[in-house]
Amino acid sequence: MAAMLELAGVTKHYRTRHGVVRAVENVSLRVEPRTTMALVGESGCGKTTIAKMILQLEQPTSGTIHFEGQDIATMDRAALRAYRRQVMAVFQDPYSSLNPRLRVGTIIAEPVLAHERKSRAELDKIVAEVLDVVGMPASAARLYPHEFSGGQRQRIAIARALALRPRLMVLDEPVSALDVSIRAQILNLLADIQAEFGLTYLIIAHDLALVEHFSSDVGVIYLGCLAEAGPTEQVFAAPRHPYTKALLAAVPLPDPDHVLSEAAATGEIASAMNPPAGCRFHPRCPYVMDVCRVTAPVLAGTPHATSCHLPVID
Amino acid sequence: MLLSVRDLQTHLHLKRGVLRAVDGVSLDVAEGETLGLVGESGSGKTLTGLSLLRLLPKGSGRIVGGSIKLDGQELTTLSEAALARDIRGRKIAMIMQDPMTSLNPVFSIGDQVGSPLRNHDIARGAALRSAVVDVLQRVRLPSPADRLGDYPHQFSGGQRQRIVAAMAIGCTPRLLVADEPTTALDVTIQVQIINLLRSIQADTGAGIILITHDLGVAASLCRRIAVMYAGQIIETGPVRAIYRSPSHPYTKALLAAIPRLGAKRARLTAIAGQPPSLIDPPTGCRFAARCTLRMDKCAEAPPNVTLSDGHSAACWKLV
Repeated sequence: MAAMLELAGVTKHYRTRHGVVRAVENVSLRVEPRTTMALVGESGCGKTTIAKMILQLEQPTSGTIHFEGQDIATMDRAALRAYRRQVMAVFQDPYSSLNPRLRVGTIIAEPVLAHERKSRAELDKIVAEVLDVVGMPASAARLYPHEFSGGQRQRIAIARALALRPRLMVLDEPVSALDVSIRAQILNLLADIQAEFGLTYLIIAHDLALVEHFSSDVGVIYLGCLAEAGPTEQVFAAPRHPYTKALLAAVPLPDPDHVLSEAAATGEIASAMNPPAGCRFHPRCPYVMDVCRVTAPVLAGTPHATSCHLPVID
Repeated sequence: MLLSVRDLQTHLHLKRGVLRAVDGVSLDVAEGETLGLVGESGSGKTLTGLSLLRLLPKGSGRIVGGSIKLDGQELTTLSEAALARDIRGRKIAMIMQDPMTSLNPVFSIGDQVGSPLRNHDIARGAALRSAVVDVLQRVRLPSPADRLGDYPHQFSGGQRQRIVAAMAIGCTPRLLVADEPTTALDVTIQVQIINLLRSIQADTGAGIILITHDLGVAASLCRRIAVMYAGQIIETGPVRAIYRSPSHPYTKALLAAIPRLGAKRARLTAIAGQPPSLIDPPTGCRFAARCTLRMDKCAEAPPNVTLSDGHSAACWKLV
């Protein structure tokens, strides 16, 4: 059976005045229906660029993206329209992703109007329904975004994404702009909605504890390359790539007796303009070998895949 | 005690009304100790830090009550000139959250790291240059002598935060106020800065107030924790007491609301609602509206209850 979403060898290079930025390099991923795939990595690693290509806000330099077996680059107009109503996004900052001049009801109705002819009464009904789903009163539709807190605004952004009853939602850091006590509300809401509507999620996040909690599968990205991918439980219980190990060792836990390790990844992230030859992680890797400086490793293993020259020891 | 704050009240005079941003905060920091000031946005933790240096928003911000003593010297009544000369950047220094905006893009880093040393007449000329190289070495910036003429944009985020730290420790302050010093950084860089703050403290014996919303960062760096909610400290204690036996319902809820690495749960325990407005805060317990243990008594301000040595919380349930 075809996956909900399948990326094969997706690469994105940006030409700039200063040279070519190799933002995403040969990334292949499969997202199955009703699962949650998390892309995790540090800022500038290319995770948002991948999301943009899925949303067709950017075109890959090479590689293909298939949605339910159909290549999104070769879809005709009608298929593309159908694709766009099935794939929705929720962005990081609910302060900049909602138009301050529009009422909440108009904001939520906008994607519906772009795709369907609806009467005023039908629209009002849809808006009230999705507001209810995200735990907001129908009266919120008459107000403006500034009248709501950050958490409520993110609920509105989720309601807008839900209005067309999509199948895939791309969540780009959906809670990182929110306070700790509000984050849990939104994560629980997203989990409830997924169960209720049978949604598939692709979540982009940098918070590893959140990823472990929220996702069923995970892809760890370093400098545009997929370092490790697989079922979240396996990857977090037995990380294989030295970068994944370094990331996990560096997370400060809410436990005063936990010892943080800096040794697992020294130095700084290289520039995507001039990435290191061979394995992109090798200048920071404590296990670096000669081969790592020359040859880029290939992602191998299923379902738990690693892109590393080190032999797998579990 | 290095720093003693008692019943600090800082107000912001806004068009909408008077916002009681810091409403009766008391805290102590001993020499060589790190106190974590933990809370969510709008809880008053940053304004507490800024009040110590009297760096409040011009026109609107004002300390209206309470006392701040550094080595026994009262700071709230000190003149602005004396504060600028002897305290700010000299005895109390600050590390800001975002190294992108806390460094001036049009001055070289040598210039900026040297400016507190110049302003406080600590070094001039060749001595200034070597003092700047020395302090940049202490924050482990690679080959500092060659990079004094470089500008902030030529450094990475982690390096910039090292430069900001160098500016702060140049005059060997007695107290460092670090406001979300790692929030803008990636985790593998964050751990480097956490370790840097540790080594700065070991070298200089400075007291540190770490202002953060991240309970993980606070746990890894602090000896004591003060939890703020809606302008007040609602629980304070040794780091182990706060994390192992949190007593205030808000502290408990906050610790239950965060996903933890290696401890997957089906559902996070969310805290319903949101913090109250500080323009017209409730008269009783400010957390009461969101608290699952609310009683009638909570309409009155709760007393601060001592639970064990140095551990106290403001809640009627504990009386």
